[in-house]
Amino acid sequence: MTKLLHKYWKTAAMAASSYVGDSPLFLIDYLLRLLRVIVLLSIWRTILAGKGTVSGMTLDAVLTYTLVAEVFAAQLSPRTTLDEVFWNGTIVGRLLQPLGIFGQFSADMFGRWLFEFSVFSVPLLLFAPLLGVSALPAGAGAAGLFVLSLALAISVGLAIEFVFGGLLVLLQLPHWAVSQVRGAITTLLSGAIVPLALLPQGVGAAFAWMPFASMASAPLQIYTGTGEPLELLALQVGWSIVLWPLAHWLWRVSRERMVAYGG
Amino acid sequence: MAGNVEPGTDQRRRTNDERAIPQNKHRSSFIVRPSSPILRRNIWRLLRLWKLYALLDFTFLLADLKLALTWYISDGIVNLASVTATLLLADRFAGIGAWGRYEVVFLLGYATVVSGLMNMFFGYNVLTISRRLGRGQLDHTLIQPQPIWLSLLTEGFMPFSGSPMLLPGIALLVWSASRLSLAITPGWLALLALNLAASSVVVLAFSFLWGSLAFWAPRAAEEISSSSIRLLYQLKGFPLDGLGSLLLSGMLTVLPVGFVAWYPCRALLGLDPLAWSRWITPLAALSFAIVTSWIFRKGMRYYGSTGSQRYSSLGHRG
Repeated sequence: MTKLLHKYWKTAAMAASSYVGDSPLFLIDYLLRLLRVIVLLSIWRTILAGKGTVSGMTLDAVLTYTLVAEVFAAQLSPRTTLDEVFWNGTIVGRLLQPLGIFGQFSADMFGRWLFEFSVFSVPLLLFAPLLGVSALPAGAGAAGLFVLSLALAISVGLAIEFVFGGLLVLLQLPHWAVSQVRGAITTLLSGAIVPLALLPQGVGAAFAWMPFASMASAPLQIYTGTGEPLELLALQVGWSIVLWPLAHWLWRVSRERMVAYGG
Repeated sequence: MAGNVEPGTDQRRRTNDERAIPQNKHRSSFIVRPSSPILRRNIWRLLRLWKLYALLDFTFLLADLKLALTWYISDGIVNLASVTATLLLADRFAGIGAWGRYEVVFLLGYATVVSGLMNMFFGYNVLTISRRLGRGQLDHTLIQPQPIWLSLLTEGFMPFSGSPMLLPGIALLVWSASRLSLAITPGWLALLALNLAASSVVVLAFSFLWGSLAFWAPRAAEEISSSSIRLLYQLKGFPLDGLGSLLLSGMLTVLPVGFVAWYPCRALLGLDPLAWSRWITPLAALSFAIVTSWIFRKGMRYYGSTGSQRYSSLGHRG
């Protein structure tokens, strides 16, 4: 077991260190993200100025929601390199590795998170007061439940990732098109940019039942104390239970049909 | 078959030496002399190449209808999703800040048309130029017997496969304009066209400005154009009126998100009190184009002396 964990850890460590291989220019990406969150905070201040509480959300809650969504952006929309390796053919090498396919891609993803978390997420949390935002959760209970909800959000997100991976192979879809569509739909439906409660009522309520909402909206609502934690957690568990068997089944039926070229 | 055989080392070196273009050659490929017959020839060639690439794009679409349909549908969904959040917010709050509901729709339409124009004219990684530079693919452009600006203006032209974003944008513009009490005159339409072109130039210049870093750091900066474009596009559909003066200045200079849609729309909708506000975006486009041209030329000179260490016989990253 220790040996197996060591292998996954090494995969994660390689992914984490791959960022700094060439030059510090990759940091510009984080600078651009910081600018984005500053602009989004300003836009919310404009929209909600003088409006008081809207659909159970105060301006302060929305600002915290936006900031925390950016801090945990990678976790709230987990992406492995699965579709990329289908495209460039390196899936062949991955299949030869003595690790489970779900495990190695997840380890790789966790490794990239480690780096991003230390370079961007933690500093953003620490500097939140400078942006005029409280990064604190609604309470100690909310903080604890957020951790649980975040873990479930990652679980749902990863299941969706492998479902899409299986569909890519099964339906022979162009990976760029699917990746773009998925990114756009996830951003809109997950509530990562705009809280679902602030959308027109029928629309927000409908989005809240979809699996994408379990990826971002649920943990963020729990963090800001603007949702019913038990209901949200139950929905996340439900989607995990539905999606993981589907991902396994899709992978099982599609792996024999995989055609890889390139690399 | 002979064409597939890798040339010997000596041959390869000679080919590379021939490809290395001297500095003054780079310079001449950028300079446009308005009165010269070369310019007239180049414009004629530009139109012919656009026609050629349009035909190629159409053929590409017809070659695989399933793939074409997939791209059309996916582009449509991506486009719809990118404006839906702002549309829903504008609907819920009857506008955003000083912008009314249909003024926000106009802003979104304008922003979508700009993205559509970029997709249509600068596909195949011309817009995301850092990818071409970072992957060593600039050599493919340099060996062509025509100025580099002509290649970059034509290679990415894809009027059919690039249209899924343009058409909904035009629809949003028309819909919002019909709901707003705008005095639509030929002069106003000309200003709209001028501002759309200027906004497109700002986006292109910004991408090339950042993308030029890939001349010096091909691997690290390979995706920098896409990062900068993504940021512009993520924020393009929001009214920026509420930003502080410092941040707003930054959004009109260092990171010109404001010129993608917000400022030109403010001017065209009469929300800006300045009489000459309609000319600001074209002037900004000119400034960005000059700065970018200078930086890109410096990068080209550097490239002329070093080439790309990532070039391989496949023209891909190494």
